[in-house]
This record gives sequence, C-alpha cells and structure tokens, in this order.
Amino acid sequence: MKKASNPLFSFKYLFYDFVKVTSALPGLLWFRPKWVYESPEARRKIRGGAILIANHERFFDPIYVMFAVWYRRHRFVCSKEIYNSKGGWFFRRFLCIPVDRENFALSTLRQIAGEIKAGSLISMFPEGHISLSDGKMDAFKSGMVLMALQGSAPIIPIYMKRGAHFYNRLRIAVGERVDVVARYGPRPTMSQIEEVAAQLQRKEEELKKLVESTR
Amino acid sequence: MTRSEIIEGLRDILLAADDRNTAALANCSEQSRLMADLGFSSVSMLYMVIAIEEKFGIRFDDNVGAADFATLGDVVDYIEKKLA
Repeated sequence: MKKASNPLFSFKYLFYDFVKVTSALPGLLWFRPKWVYESPEARRKIRGGAILIANHERFFDPIYVMFAVWYRRHRFVCSKEIYNSKGGWFFRRFLCIPVDRENFALSTLRQIAGEIKAGSLISMFPEGHISLSDGKMDAFKSGMVLMALQGSAPIIPIYMKRGAHFYNRLRIAVGERVDVVARYGPRPTMSQIEEVAAQLQRKEEELKKLVESTR
Repeated sequence: MTRSEIIEGLRDILLAADDRNTAALANCSEQSRLMADLGFSSVSMLYMVIAIEEKFGIRFDDNVGAADFATLGDVVDYIEKKLA
C-alpha cells in the first residue's frame, strides 16, 4: 500500500504558503524572534509527523507559533465554534482542523492521527482556550496525548513571550520532545496519559522561566 | 459472541486502561453510567473505543463521540450490532 505523505507543493497549500511567504520578512523585522533551547537535544529540527504545543495568551499566538517553527507548515487545531464562525473562512483556508471541545469525536482523532502519519506538524494549544489568568496556565487537556499515541508521534513543547510594547522581541523557548510510546508503550493507562499531560504543563512552566531569564 | 462475553471483554479492557477506578470497573454492569459512575471523560471514552476496535476487530463509525454512549449497556448494544 502506498504510504500517504504531504507533497512539497499542492494547490490546497496555496493560500497558506502565500500568506506565509508574504508575511515572513515584515514579521521577522517586526517580531525579531529569539530562540532559546532547553538543551542541545531541543535544537534538533522537527521532521516528520509531530505535535507542537504552546501557551495561549493572545489571539495572535498562532502567528507566533508559525515563527517559532518557521520551516514547517502547521496544521492548527481550532475549536469548531471558530471554524464555523463568520470569519471561519480564514481558518478553513488555513487548513485548520476543527475540534469539538465538549464532545471530542472519533473522526477528529482519526483525522489528526492520519495527518500525523502523513508527516504533518499538528500545532495546538493544550489549554483549549486563551488563558485569561494573567500568565498562569490552565490545566492541559489530555486529548493531545491520545493524538500522539494514535499518530505514534512525539510532542514538542514551546513557550512564547512578547512584552507589552510593540517594539519588544518575540522570545521562544523550545523544549525537548516527549515520546509517549517510547516512555509507556503503545497502550498506557489513563493515569499515565494524564500524567504526561501534567508533565507537559510543568515543562511549559519551566520553559516560561527559561524564556523570562533571557534578554 | 454472547452478550455476557462482550461485557467480560469490555471489563478487561476497562481494567487494563484505567487503573484509578478499579473497584467500580470490576463491579460494573450494563446499567453503569460511563461518566457519572465510572468516571469517564471524553478522552477516556475515545481511548476505550480504540481498545474495543482492537479487541473485537470492529470499526466504530466516524461520527461516534463521547456523548453517544450513556451507559455500558449502550456500548454493548453497539458492539453487538457491529458483530452481527
């Protein structure tokens, strides 16, 4: 059977690639991103199917995520409410994957696992919403771990911070990847799945400290 | 496969997948409510579906979600229908 893989060029990526190419230079000049890494291991380029998770404090965080891992196309997971809203055309053209946060459907899990196996980078905000609690992260949802298990993919945590002033740089801390299958095997228990989600949240807190300690 | 064999298989799946709630899972019955009695979340529900697919060799419909099964009996009904 022929293995599904994402082509370098496809008409379905036209809008995404156009936005990315035209906004790259102005964005780089405006945000002047600065990367810090948790360890030499975290410097490794993300190749193949993977899940990228990040903190979510602003509406524009997906743009920051795109700058954080600029060399990959991102398939963002977004809520079905946003996806089906009036402005949802942008999210649909941007190849976002809608998810029902109240009733996580099997079809969504299968779609995401299929995308990961085809080599896509799935980007998501595991709090499930914009965190309004002034820099304090809400509990991470464990669905991302299930997606990683089904797609046999690592989870890569990043933390992004930008000061309140327009001239502040975007600072990005990249953590080591977490391979759930390597750690617990293909069928961990639910408490292990929830433990991974909790560990990733603690990792985000560490990355936050790391990014705040850099100038 | 009889209904009681399906329930037994389901109990094995649940006990292997969820080590936090073993007492309730060991004594579960068709009337047990998945969320209220057995402490399921939408994620653990999907995890159970994946394990059922592997154990019973069936494929759940794509539109199945966490809200589709209220009790363990609903899951048994669904498996029975798929095995028929």
